[in-house]
Amino acid sequence: MSDEDIARVLKAAGPREHAPAEVERAVREYLRSEWREIVAERQGRRRRWTGFALAASVAVAAVSAWLLAAQPQGAAEPVATMAVALDDVRVRGSWWDGWEVATAGRTLKAGESIETGANGRAALSLPGIASARLDHDTRVRLASADRVVIDRGALYVDAGLESPADSRLVVETPAGAVRHVGTQYEVRVDGRAVRLRVREGRVEWRSPSGAVERGDAGEQLTIAADGAVSRAGAARYGETWDWIASTTPAIDIEGRPLAEFLSWAGRELGREVAYETPGLAADAARIVVHGSVAGLTPAEALDAVLATTSVRGRLDKGRILVTGGQVGNGTD
Amino acid sequence: MSEEKQLIQRMLGGDEQAFEAFFNAYFPRVYRFALPRLNGDVEAAREVVQAALAKAMRRIGDFRGESALFTWICQICRREAVDYIRSRRRHVKHLVLIDDRPELRSAIEAIEAPEEYDLVRQYGRAEVGRLVRVVLDRLPSNYGDALEWKYMEGSSVEEIGERLGIGTIAAQSLLARARIAFREALEQVFGAEAADIAASLGA
Repeated sequence: MSDEDIARVLKAAGPREHAPAEVERAVREYLRSEWREIVAERQGRRRRWTGFALAASVAVAAVSAWLLAAQPQGAAEPVATMAVALDDVRVRGSWWDGWEVATAGRTLKAGESIETGANGRAALSLPGIASARLDHDTRVRLASADRVVIDRGALYVDAGLESPADSRLVVETPAGAVRHVGTQYEVRVDGRAVRLRVREGRVEWRSPSGAVERGDAGEQLTIAADGAVSRAGAARYGETWDWIASTTPAIDIEGRPLAEFLSWAGRELGREVAYETPGLAADAARIVVHGSVAGLTPAEALDAVLATTSVRGRLDKGRILVTGGQVGNGTD
Repeated sequence: MSEEKQLIQRMLGGDEQAFEAFFNAYFPRVYRFALPRLNGDVEAAREVVQAALAKAMRRIGDFRGESALFTWICQICRREAVDYIRSRRRHVKHLVLIDDRPELRSAIEAIEAPEEYDLVRQYGRAEVGRLVRVVLDRLPSNYGDALEWKYMEGSSVEEIGERLGIGTIAAQSLLARARIAFREALEQVFGAEAADIAASLGA
């Protein structure tokens, strides 16, 4: 067969089809995450078997003790609750378990992995530490009560206004770890690159080599696959944060002061609550709200609650501006 | 130890480059294997290929090398595609491709003895063209790529070497082996010489 024959056959057959770039990228990242898990499991098994061989020569009792010790730390310890599970959300206990469909209210234990599919989103409550939201196509593992490992996708953390120094969540990514100082932030993993957006407070980024970078509210840090860090400004509200509102756990507003509800809505929407006059702030502290906002997004809840009170409010750039005037939470 | 087994061992040992090599070698070919079996549905192919490769990685320690690794992965992919179609029976049209027919499947997968098929007359130009591409995919991945770059894209041997991360002499040698493997595979599947296949394809 001559070169010419080969060229003629190949040209006549036409080029082979290639997967769209976004499909290839998505599958590559999914498989990279799977592969990392497989490698970690195999290394874990190897360590256990090495230990077993040594212990077996000593005594059965010693083996038993060792086997108990070889279990992942805190494997059975409940560390979180699934607050919201939208559509495709799964949980897996360990590598030998299959994925199970997860529903709201499920207790989550240390060592468990949570995965959201293309249409799935979830919210986790880590009592005393933080509330976390998972965007679609995300996989995280609850390593312990204060440590979450994200393999892919996006995780939003709201640690509340006052987060004690000894109960701060650490988020581990393929490129390093994030520790916060009372804050709201999003970690998005794209292969080996990581994007960190700080909505409130401050975060500390630590690379595997120990290099530290800090990010303040309104900043975005992008850590490239080679570890290079770049910074840019990041809006604290708007479309890019909207996915979080879809996973906001319902709150019980019955009998609570309006000011407390407004503060909650402000955090969820990434906006500061501003009162037009000091008198309105006092009113908001005094007014007690009744009813339920279950099933509403924070913006819808804000509309619904304000419609029933004597004060009014609207979204005004980065603020929820509380006024005594016209009704409505119109847009910026 | 075969190159495939070495790649598997490195990958299972946590070597990131081995994972990349595995993905680059198998994803494009398994995707092309799955796509026509799922009626050209890109999203379905993504799900099926993702599931098949994930399953293959989990079971890769069981791979004994009795068939080519690609053939082994295609078997997993075929089952995944069937499961996918079953689970979405109302939405997906199940296609039986000519290379899924037992006589051709064995010829393509086992490549043992030439059969006297006159495929060109029997199936027409488009299907034969697709079969040629299937044959390219059945070759070791760098063979198929090198042939395509050389004869379809017009790349030089130096450029092919650069793209494969090997020297010019190694690229020349690889191209020579690729040509031989391609010719043998074509003859085995089609029972005809390349010149006849090219003629019947209208080239």
